[in-house]
Amino acid sequence: MDKLTDYRYTMKSCNSCGQCRFILGPMMKGWEYAEICPIHLRYRWDACSGQGLINIAQELLDGELDYEDGLIEHIYTCTTCGACDINCKSVRDMEVMDTILALRARCVEDGRGPLPPHQEQARYIEAHHNIFGEPHEERSDWLQEGIKLSEKADVAYFAGCATAYKHPDIARNTVRILNAGGLDFQVLHDEYCCGAPLWRTGQVEAARKLAEHNTEVFRENGIRTVVTACAECYGTFRGFYPRIAPPDFEVVHISEVVQRMLRADRLKLKGKLDIKVTYHDPCLLGRLSEPYVPWHGEIKSFGYHEPPKTWRRGTHGVYESPREVLKAIPGLELVEMTRHAENAFCCGGGGGVPAAFPDFALWTAAERLDEAKSTGANAVVSACPWCESAFQNAIDADKSTLQYHDFTGLVVRALEL
Amino acid sequence: MEKVMSLPKEVYQALLKVVGPENIADRPHILAALRHTNPQSGRQPPSPAAVIMPGSVEEVREIVRICNRHGVRYNAVVSMFGMGGVVSQPGMLVISLRRMNRIIEINEFDRYAVIEPAVRQVQLKAEVFKRGLTYPTASAGPSCSVLANFLTSGDHHTQQSSSRCSRYLLGYEWVTPTGEIVRVGSLAHGAGWFCPDGPGPSLRGLVRGYGGWGGGLGIVTRIAIGLDDWKGPRVLTTQGHSPDYKIPFPPDCHRVFIFKFPTLEKVRDAMTEMGKAEIGQAVLKFFYATEAVLFTVSANDFRDLWNSGLYQRELPRALWVYLAAWTPEELAYEERVMRDIVEEFGGEPVDASITRKYEENMDFFILVSFLQRVLKLGGGWSPTKLGADSIHHMFEVAAAIPEFFYDFIEKGRILDAPHNFQVIPMEYGHAAHIELLFFFDNQRPDWQQIPAEVMQKSMESDIRHGFHAATPPRVKAVMERLGPLYSNFQVWTNKIKETFDPNNVSNPGPG
Ligand SMILES: Cc1cc2nc3c(=O)[nH]c(=O)nc-3n(C[C@H](O)[C@H](O)[C@H](O)COP(=O)(O)OP(=O)(O)OC[C@H]3O[C@@H](n4cnc5c(N)ncnc54)[C@H](O)[C@@H]3O)c2cc1C
Ligand code: SF4
Ligand code: SF4
Repeated sequence: MDKLTDYRYTMKSCNSCGQCRFILGPMMKGWEYAEICPIHLRYRWDACSGQGLINIAQELLDGELDYEDGLIEHIYTCTTCGACDINCKSVRDMEVMDTILALRARCVEDGRGPLPPHQEQARYIEAHHNIFGEPHEERSDWLQEGIKLSEKADVAYFAGCATAYKHPDIARNTVRILNAGGLDFQVLHDEYCCGAPLWRTGQVEAARKLAEHNTEVFRENGIRTVVTACAECYGTFRGFYPRIAPPDFEVVHISEVVQRMLRADRLKLKGKLDIKVTYHDPCLLGRLSEPYVPWHGEIKSFGYHEPPKTWRRGTHGVYESPREVLKAIPGLELVEMTRHAENAFCCGGGGGVPAAFPDFALWTAAERLDEAKSTGANAVVSACPWCESAFQNAIDADKSTLQYHDFTGLVVRALEL
Repeated sequence: MEKVMSLPKEVYQALLKVVGPENIADRPHILAALRHTNPQSGRQPPSPAAVIMPGSVEEVREIVRICNRHGVRYNAVVSMFGMGGVVSQPGMLVISLRRMNRIIEINEFDRYAVIEPAVRQVQLKAEVFKRGLTYPTASAGPSCSVLANFLTSGDHHTQQSSSRCSRYLLGYEWVTPTGEIVRVGSLAHGAGWFCPDGPGPSLRGLVRGYGGWGGGLGIVTRIAIGLDDWKGPRVLTTQGHSPDYKIPFPPDCHRVFIFKFPTLEKVRDAMTEMGKAEIGQAVLKFFYATEAVLFTVSANDFRDLWNSGLYQRELPRALWVYLAAWTPEELAYEERVMRDIVEEFGGEPVDASITRKYEENMDFFILVSFLQRVLKLGGGWSPTKLGADSIHHMFEVAAAIPEFFYDFIEKGRILDAPHNFQVIPMEYGHAAHIELLFFFDNQRPDWQQIPAEVMQKSMESDIRHGFHAATPPRVKAVMERLGPLYSNFQVWTNKIKETFDPNNVSNPGPG
């Protein structure tokens, strides 16, 4: 597992250029919605940004900064959305997100982090294998009669904690879509939390155990492909699991599955939905979803990486699949927000922020909804149960007329299932 | 890092009263981002004592007055992309202008925009494009402050058809170093923002000078800048995902050409003739090692391109021309004139793959979105010269660069790139800007000395030859040495500084 010291080069290279706070030049649209870092937009200090966090990491590492009052809270306000990382990497060979995650891991290692709500989540996961402390036996309760499962299939649908316990509709819709498209799959009753909440809060050793468990379950059941409708699970399988061991399974998001099925004429979207929507790219499905490729080498003169490194710059995130499917729904009009694809603004639902700083999470979601409204859309669509919770909380708090739809819900309606 | 020097309690409390507790901080972790070592120079700035974020000109005035009362030294900052560092002495107060980020007005009729300090290039550029307007935009990156750039710097790629940013600065609102609010130019007599000079001497020149705000004369809280008509698309038609964006402009009215010439003199003469003919949105002799860094994504990609030798073969004596026109006919006319000039001086097109990069990334000419890539070789990057004079003089200066520069190349201290300087004409060749950019390996043990040594040698060359090629920094020893070349400007700027800032609290420099 990578250590904070692995990111010395990143820390040393930063020149405070500020790109980690602003939308990328090619995507510029105007004064509004030009900022992409939630903590910087809210608090404005340089310290509240990718740059600030890596500066703090460097001083901690060098013993120039102590774990003073407020530091741990500061480090954990970041939503780990990775907008800073992708923006920095559009111009630099630096690992901003991984440095922030390694900084959190270091805080945990030093016995200073995470914050109490994250510790509580870890205890729940340890005892019940899900973040909410719900009984493990109820993990598959969302499964309804009439769903065709194939015990021998080498494809598994992985629901994830948030879907299984809080948004069972997403799970039900997903399996109905898979059935409609004629894909044989299993539901694994011994799936555990994917590990995202632990990984993103620096509790990497506990996250490792979950990764090992799930990988073993996949292996035992002959699973070669894991389908998920949760962006956090998707990004964790691709971004975290390869740090433990080379994965022997492929991960696909339900939007990619539907896209393939539509292209192969295995599904037909017939139902007309008169609706104008804007699509929110979840961070771990979009810019942070490229597979992690371990790199061990040396950074030489002029920053040359020997051997060459495979960079995750957010180029190949899952951006087109959900859009292609949504556009194929009769009557549905898709409009884009200024900050979209790799430039999407976070919903506030990640990085352990909702548990530790619910007001800030709400503020972040409200900022995103404001942008969604500015497009003239009457609904925001996304493809992650965590985004759903974040947005629904903000909609309820604001009594907004804007609606939220999960991607799978719209597809099921258009399939007239 | 030395221990953080804090502000006296009563000063902190007085400041807190002005902005509220949310907008002032002195905890070491909040200050960490303001004392980070700059990879371009290796200099670790001292820690500030605190940082404060005013929300209005009145708050700025109050803060400045408190600083004067208590002898607290301060500096204003927006994004920190500036090369000089923010904190020059321990215990300073950083006045971060982030909250003052509004576009006050875009006047399409009189063609000016009024902005606060924290409006970024990426914001204003898009807003004025929407209205069919543009402004000179320094190649300083999308996230840098328009206002800070207009005050401190402002050379850019399209100044052939416009000018340095500083020449587009109109009326402005200024909090003097002692805390008076002054409105300058036409603004002073209620006539609006359109003009930088009222009756009497130009205060713009007095407080800004050629070298910009390095002099540290208070805080500018609003500026108006002049706008020009924009011949390009009102909304960018960007394709692709980061970092592989493509931003083409309509090819019937926008084209890029790069020609190589047999000698630097021919480059100079072709450049001069294009100015006389008043063609070209942009005409430049560009630094080609920088180009190779800009147009590759990773350091390794750069190395592959550089080792191929293509740029070294094609670009040391090349001229870049970007033509922009309202109609295809106008473009055809400019192209014919350009080709006549190129032919006269023996120019020929460079490898098409190089030109294609520019055609696919026209943002190079409006707002270099990928500018920070110059730092991707570990951050070891630095400019020198940065002065302006006639085109001919700039090429004389360039001809003398090998005298001091090749030694650094030969000893492997900087990346091998002969003639790796840029000359950009401004106002159709009435003047030109020169910049010598170099990459150094900051993994070397002696790397921290390299930029300073190159700058020193460059200055000595200027003094030896009597060249006007530098923008003198506000470093006393350097000003004293370069002063005689520029009518002893330092005597005047020092007098101005003493008059306006008797307590020497505003951006005092390293002392
Ligand atoms: C890689 C690189 C390339 C660059 N290329 C160019 C270029 O091509 N052309 C060019 O012109 N510049 C260039 N620069 C220089 C730099 O970007 C500019 O000076 C920039 O405009 C600074 O903007 P900023 O927002 O970072 O300002 P800051 O760094 O925040 O401020 C710069 C300085 O301006 C002063 N200042 C800021 N705001 C105010 C205010 N409101 N009132 C008074 N003083 C103030 C302060 O003294 C501060 O230290 C380059 C810099 C880098 C690192
Ligand atoms: S974009 Fe990268 S180099 Fe620039 S300030 Fe942010 S972290 Fe530093
Ligand atoms: S991960 Fe997101 S919230 Fe955290 S510093 Fe980066 S952009 Fe800001």
